Amino acid sequence: MNAKERVMAVLNHQNPDRMPCFGANSTVTYDQMEKAQAFWPEGHQKGETMAKQALAAYTMLGFDAVRVPFCQTFEAVALGCNYKPAKAIEGGEGIPGIEHPPIYKLDDTPIFPDDFLSRGMIPELLKAVKILKNELGDEVPIVAGIIGPFTIAGSLIDTVPLLKATFKAPEKIRPFLDVGEKAGTALAKALIDAGADIIACEDMTASPELIAPKTYRDYELEYQKRQFEQISVPKILHICGNVDPIVEWMGQTGADVLSLEPKASASLARRKCGPDIILMGGVDTATTLFMKDVETVKEGSEECIADGIQMLAPGCAVAPGTPTENLLAMVEVVKGH
Amino acid sequence: MKVLNDFSNIFKRYDLDLEVTGTAREVSKDAVMQKIAQFVVDGDDEGIGPAVKEILGSKSPLDIINDALIAGMNEVSRLWDEGVYFLPQVILSSDAMNVGIALCEESMGKSMERKGTVVTHTAEGDIHDIGQVIVNALLNANGFKVVNLGADVPVDKVVAACKENKPIMVTGTALMTTTMTAFPKIGHQLKAAGLNIPFICGGGAVCEEYVTGYDLGVWGKEASQATGMAEDALAGESWESMRSKWNG
Repeated sequence: MNAKERVMAVLNHQNPDRMPCFGANSTVTYDQMEKAQAFWPEGHQKGETMAKQALAAYTMLGFDAVRVPFCQTFEAVALGCNYKPAKAIEGGEGIPGIEHPPIYKLDDTPIFPDDFLSRGMIPELLKAVKILKNELGDEVPIVAGIIGPFTIAGSLIDTVPLLKATFKAPEKIRPFLDVGEKAGTALAKALIDAGADIIACEDMTASPELIAPKTYRDYELEYQKRQFEQISVPKILHICGNVDPIVEWMGQTGADVLSLEPKASASLARRKCGPDIILMGGVDTATTLFMKDVETVKEGSEECIADGIQMLAPGCAVAPGTPTENLLAMVEVVKGH
Repeated sequence: MKVLNDFSNIFKRYDLDLEVTGTAREVSKDAVMQKIAQFVVDGDDEGIGPAVKEILGSKSPLDIINDALIAGMNEVSRLWDEGVYFLPQVILSSDAMNVGIALCEESMGKSMERKGTVVTHTAEGDIHDIGQVIVNALLNANGFKVVNLGADVPVDKVVAACKENKPIMVTGTALMTTTMTAFPKIGHQLKAAGLNIPFICGGGAVCEEYVTGYDLGVWGKEASQATGMAEDALAGESWESMRSKWNG
């Protein structure tokens, strides 16, 4: 089986020749940038560089998919938020974000621009996917990332005001969730047209570590369902942190795959979501992949698999300073499954 | 034979009840104080202002701070520790408490006496200041003066704020591994400036092994530990002894 056949086998509930290993989130590291001679910040902004960096996941690590982009700013910037370039920090270039203060207040009505797909750096992201499709064809699946409605809403009005509104005036967050959903859905469709095989939706701010589980159930769930209904390819839903209190509802979004951090229980997700949901995830990206050694990564990966993970992945976005050997250790583990 | 007429516990598995329920306890026997505390517990930053103004004639501002505002916030901390309250509620309650404290301080004509000063910040390049928001709220509630430097704070600014405010401890939050690399620099510069205060570092990406790798560093596992650590620092414990107590 080639990498795409392997991943698709799992997604189609068939038996792969071995377990696949790839990231639902960014897997780019400084090591890979050095070897690919493609660096940040260009990798966040230029399609060619982005594609080169993404390709490294397959060519250098042996992962079973490539993944773009490497930051969470594309939709927000195209919606009018101010891009905050990464600062060069010790050890290399960082990850860009969204500038404070936000462009909207809670009482404002956010606008979804007609020319959304040609705004900000979205054209470069689409270019990267096209380049990857040309390079990889049907050998390796392309995972393209979008951002969940709640997290985009957090970029539009800032996270703390959004969190307060979930208790003080929850109905007022709906227009922002609506625009967030439209943005992610429009981007997903364009990414699929460009060649993406799988859409990974990251929704960091919807984590129970930030909002109450009932806010997820009563607000975000509806928008996630609406979004996933409109996306024709397999969908991965990634929410950071311990998602145990909401995992049942994550399973109702229409996502084919839930991407879990090790803080969340895969066996609980299985019980709550039934046999059809596919679980991916793996070791902690900070405390294990970044800080520890090959042995610890292998042990952690085996534990995740024993808990019911079907596709091994870093638990969240890989820290760019992560040693290559730790990522290679994950591939070693899946060769035994 | 025992007849079972309540089936609720039979069908209740441990994992089927993830949303913990619980209610706030009464914090004051005095109905007026309890009413103010309830505004904090409910996170009502609009209702609390008029209510505090109304009782300032009959109660001393310091009593209102201690017996209603801070007592209410302590109750919020408890509900948060027990998983009943979520982060948005802690933020709203902290806002309500601060509205009340500001009015009481205005009435006293001076700031309330604080136990000691703590400088808090979120690392340069990191906009994820949620952990710091909790730390600020809890320290405030426990009577510490918080010098809140906010998010995305450069190393120099943290060091300058410590020189200026002479805090008993300083905290740093980072969610991303790319940004926590500022922490060792801060530790080093504080030490070079003769400020041997505990530097509590925590947040998503930050782990014990990293923080205990540089001088002054004490790893904060949970935001809720901040007050206990501040009490230790206030009691004069060194960063070394705090590290051996809270870490390892």
